[in-house]
Formats: sequence, C-alpha cells, structure tokens
Amino acid sequence: MGDFNQFFFILLSVVILVSAACVVLFKNLIYSALSMIGSFLGVAGIYILLHAELVAAAQVLIYVGAISVLVIFAIMLTHHRTGDLSLYFHKQAWIALPVCAVAGITLMVIMGSAAYNAVGEAQNPTDENIASLLFNEYAFPFELVSLALLVAMIGAVILAKKEKS
Amino acid sequence: MTPLQEYLALSMALFFIGTWGVVARRNIILVVMCIELMLNAINIALVAFSNYSPIGGGRGEVFVFFVFALAAAEAAIGLAIAIAMYRLKEKLSVDDLDEMKG
Repeated sequence: MGDFNQFFFILLSVVILVSAACVVLFKNLIYSALSMIGSFLGVAGIYILLHAELVAAAQVLIYVGAISVLVIFAIMLTHHRTGDLSLYFHKQAWIALPVCAVAGITLMVIMGSAAYNAVGEAQNPTDENIASLLFNEYAFPFELVSLALLVAMIGAVILAKKEKS
Repeated sequence: MTPLQEYLALSMALFFIGTWGVVARRNIILVVMCIELMLNAINIALVAFSNYSPIGGGRGEVFVFFVFALAAAEAAIGLAIAIAMYRLKEKLSVDDLDEMKG
C-alpha cells in the first residue's frame, strides 16, 4: 500500500467511524440518517481503494440512493417524542459501550495480527469475471435473492398498508 | 500490519459501533440503521478478503451483491414494521414490543 493509499485509507476510516458513532449519538433521527449516509459514502471510498469499483458503484446506488431514502421516509412518516436522555438510550446503555468496546478491540487485535495467506497488493477481479460468476456458478442463489426481494416487497406493502376501519 | 489486516480492523470497529447502537438505543428506526452499518462492516471484510486472496477470483464480491439485496429487503421489512408499530401504538421504542413476554 503506497503512501497515497495509506493517507486515503486513514482519512476514510476516520470519516466512517466518526459518522457511525454520530449515528448512535445524535438525538435527532434526521441527523443520524445524514451521518449514516456519510458513513456509507466512506465505505464506497474504501471499496474504490480495494479496486472494487463495481461494488463501490452499487454501494452508492443501493445504500446512499435507495436505503437512505427509505430510512428518511420512515422517519418522516412517524412522529418522534423529544425529551430527556432516557427516551433515547436504554438504562443499560452505559454497560453496552464498554462491552462493545472490549469485544471490538479484542477482535480488531485478533484480526489485525492473524497471519493470512494473502497477496501483497489488492487484486482486481474484472467485471466480466464477477458477472460470469453471478450468472453461471451462482445463478441459483441469484434467482433465490430475487424471490426474497419480491417477498420482502409484498410483505412491506402488507405491513405498512392502512387497515380498513 | 499488512493492508488486509488494516481493512479487517476497520471492519471490526464499524461492526461494533453498529452493535453498540443496536444494544444501546431505544428507537426501532435507529436500530434498523445500525444493522445497516453492521452489514456494511461485513461487506468491507468480504471485499478485502476477496481482493487480497490468491485464489478467490472475485467470489467475495459476488457475495457482497447478495448482501446488498438482502440488506435492501431487510430495510424495507424493518421500516414497514416500524410504521405499522407506530400506527398501532403511537410509539417507536423497542421496549414497547413486549406482548410476548411470559
């Protein structure tokens, strides 16, 4: 990893982790959703650093485009009470932070020190390569995922439908 | 640290920030958002393993596309549940979903 990549990796990591922490810490859900978008964009940058441009494009289209709009719609369709901190955080939230921090740092150390059978420089599977894998070897899971999306769409419509009174 | 290990460390950090949000916050929409963050962390790990592996040939990236599709389905269902819950109870706290406790 050259100096250029190293610099952008650290920059993007800071953007991702700070905006992810802001998602948890902001009281206003709209602010949380906006910092979630910042985090998604940072992850798209990480994909570009990893030479996965197709995944980066899909990340921007699906997460930044579709899922964020869905989340913001849900926030706008509901009304939120405001008040003191106990409305936002559980009573046990003060235990959650150290537990997650310990678990996260432990796994970071383990995964950051394990020896992997890895090549030194990130490879770039071509888009043709990914497409032929998707439509030959993984054709059945691909169709299954389309079925799952259809079921999710019907389920979302039925769940969110107004009941006749 | 090699580059692969740096990406994995970033992935773990993002994953546990998402876990923290799921565990600590009350609002059901925010819980869905934090689950999306956790899925993003997993995608970083998948792409990193895929592109630094000597044998993968892009299979990890194919899995990332499946995760994208299922994350979209999960977000649609989760937010529909949030809207239905708001319509029924006028509340969005996960503590209010306690009908099934014994």
